[in-house]
Amino acid sequence: MLILVLLSLSVITLDQSGRTHHLTSGIKSLASDIFSPIRSGVNAILDPIGNVFAGVVHYNSVVAENHELQQALARLRLRDDARGYQLRQLTELQQLLAENRLPYLQQLPTVLAQQTQIGNTNFAATIDIDKGRDDGVDVGMPVIGAGGLVGQVTFAAHHTATVTLITDGSSKVGVSFGKGNAYTATLDGQGPSGALTADFVLPGTPVRRGERMYTNNLAGNDFPGGIPVAYVTGVRTPPGASQETVDVKPLANLGALSYVEVVQWSPSP
Amino acid sequence: MEPVTVTARSRFRLVLVVALFVVVQETVAVKLRIAGFHPELMLLVPIAAGMVTGPREGAIAGFLAGIAIDLLLPTPFGLTALVGCLTGVAVGRATGSLTREVRWVPMLVALAASAGAVMLYAVLGAVLGQEQFLRVNLAGLVLVVALVNAVLAPAAQRVVRWALGPGGETRLASGSAW
Repeated sequence: MLILVLLSLSVITLDQSGRTHHLTSGIKSLASDIFSPIRSGVNAILDPIGNVFAGVVHYNSVVAENHELQQALARLRLRDDARGYQLRQLTELQQLLAENRLPYLQQLPTVLAQQTQIGNTNFAATIDIDKGRDDGVDVGMPVIGAGGLVGQVTFAAHHTATVTLITDGSSKVGVSFGKGNAYTATLDGQGPSGALTADFVLPGTPVRRGERMYTNNLAGNDFPGGIPVAYVTGVRTPPGASQETVDVKPLANLGALSYVEVVQWSPSP
Repeated sequence: MEPVTVTARSRFRLVLVVALFVVVQETVAVKLRIAGFHPELMLLVPIAAGMVTGPREGAIAGFLAGIAIDLLLPTPFGLTALVGCLTGVAVGRATGSLTREVRWVPMLVALAASAGAVMLYAVLGAVLGQEQFLRVNLAGLVLVVALVNAVLAPAAQRVVRWALGPGGETRLASGSAW
C-alpha cells in the first residue's frame, strides 16, 4: 500500500517538474490518441439512445423551447417584411465588425475545430476539440468562437486538444475597455459556474453595464489584442475598497459551443 | 467463508473492470450533468474493492482506476491515483468489521467515502498549486458525487466481486499475483 502511495507521489512529482513534464504529457497524449476513437465509437452508438432519453426526460422543456423558437421565427418574419430591415441589419453587422476589431485576427491563420466533449473533470472548465498537433494546434494558442474569446489550448495530442475556458478558476485574461481602450483590467475565471470578475479596476473608473472588454496586447499577455472577451453585468464599489467590484459575463456562449477557431498565435517568450 | 488467493486471472478481470469504468465514465457519466456536475464513477472501484476484499486490494484497485482516468484528465497526473489508493485503504480499514450483506451498508460507505475522496482531491490539488480546485462549489459537487455513488454502490460491488473472484465477502488473504 505504501509502495502505491509513493508511486502515486512519484508520478505527481514527475508531472509537476518542469524537466520531466514532457514525459507525462507524452504518455497522456498517447492515451488520448488511443482513447479518442473508442470514445467516438461508443458515442456514435450511445448518442442516439441518449437523445431519445433526453427527449423523454426533458419533453416539457423541449416543447417550451419549440414554442419559443416558433415565436422567434414569427417575430423574425415580421421584421423581415419591414422596409429597411436588410439595410439596418447590414449597418448593425458593419458596426459589430468594426467594434469587434476582428480584422486583427484576419491577419492570423486559424484552424477550425469541432467540440467533441465538454470537460471531463468537475474541477476545471475545459472542452475537448477534434484537432491536435498534426493539424497545427498547439499549447498556448487562443481559441475563439460563438461571439468572443473561448479560452486557450492547454493540452495538445496528435489529433485532439483540450481547451481551458476563460471561466476556469486558473484563467486570467488581460483586457482593455472604455473610451480609447484607456482602462485595463484582468479577468479572473471563477470556476465551472461560468462567472468572471474583473480585477484591478480602480475606484472611479468609468465602467457601465454592457461595456465590452477586449484582450489587450500588453507585454506578457497570453492573447493577441482586440478579441472581444466579455461584457459588464454589474459594477459596485464597496465602501473603503481599493478597487471596484466588476462582474462580467463571457460574450461567447460557452455552454453551447459547436465549432471554434484556434488562432495560430503564440505568446512572445 | 474461505479466504481466497488473488490470482493473475482476477487481476486481469480487475483491469477489465477498470477499463469498463473508464469507458462508461468518459462516454456516459461526463454527459450526465446534475446541478452542473457529473458523477465520478471511478471512485466506486476502490470503494467497492475495499469493501469486498480489504485495504490492500482497495489500494491496488484505486491506484489502477486512478492512473487510468488520470491519463485522460487535464488535472495533475497521478492525483486521482493517489486519492483512489488512499480511498481504497480507508474503506478497506473502516469496513473490516461491518456486515456487508445488508444493502444499505455499502450505500452508506460509498456515500461517506465518495464525499471524503472528493474533498481530499480538492485539497491535494490546491496543495499542488491548483488553487482553483477549491473555487468550485464543493458542497454541490460532494453531494452529487456521493449520492450517485451511493445509489450505484451495490451494482459496483457486484462487478468488483466478480473481478476479484469468489468469496467476495471475505477479505483476501495472501498470494498476490503482483
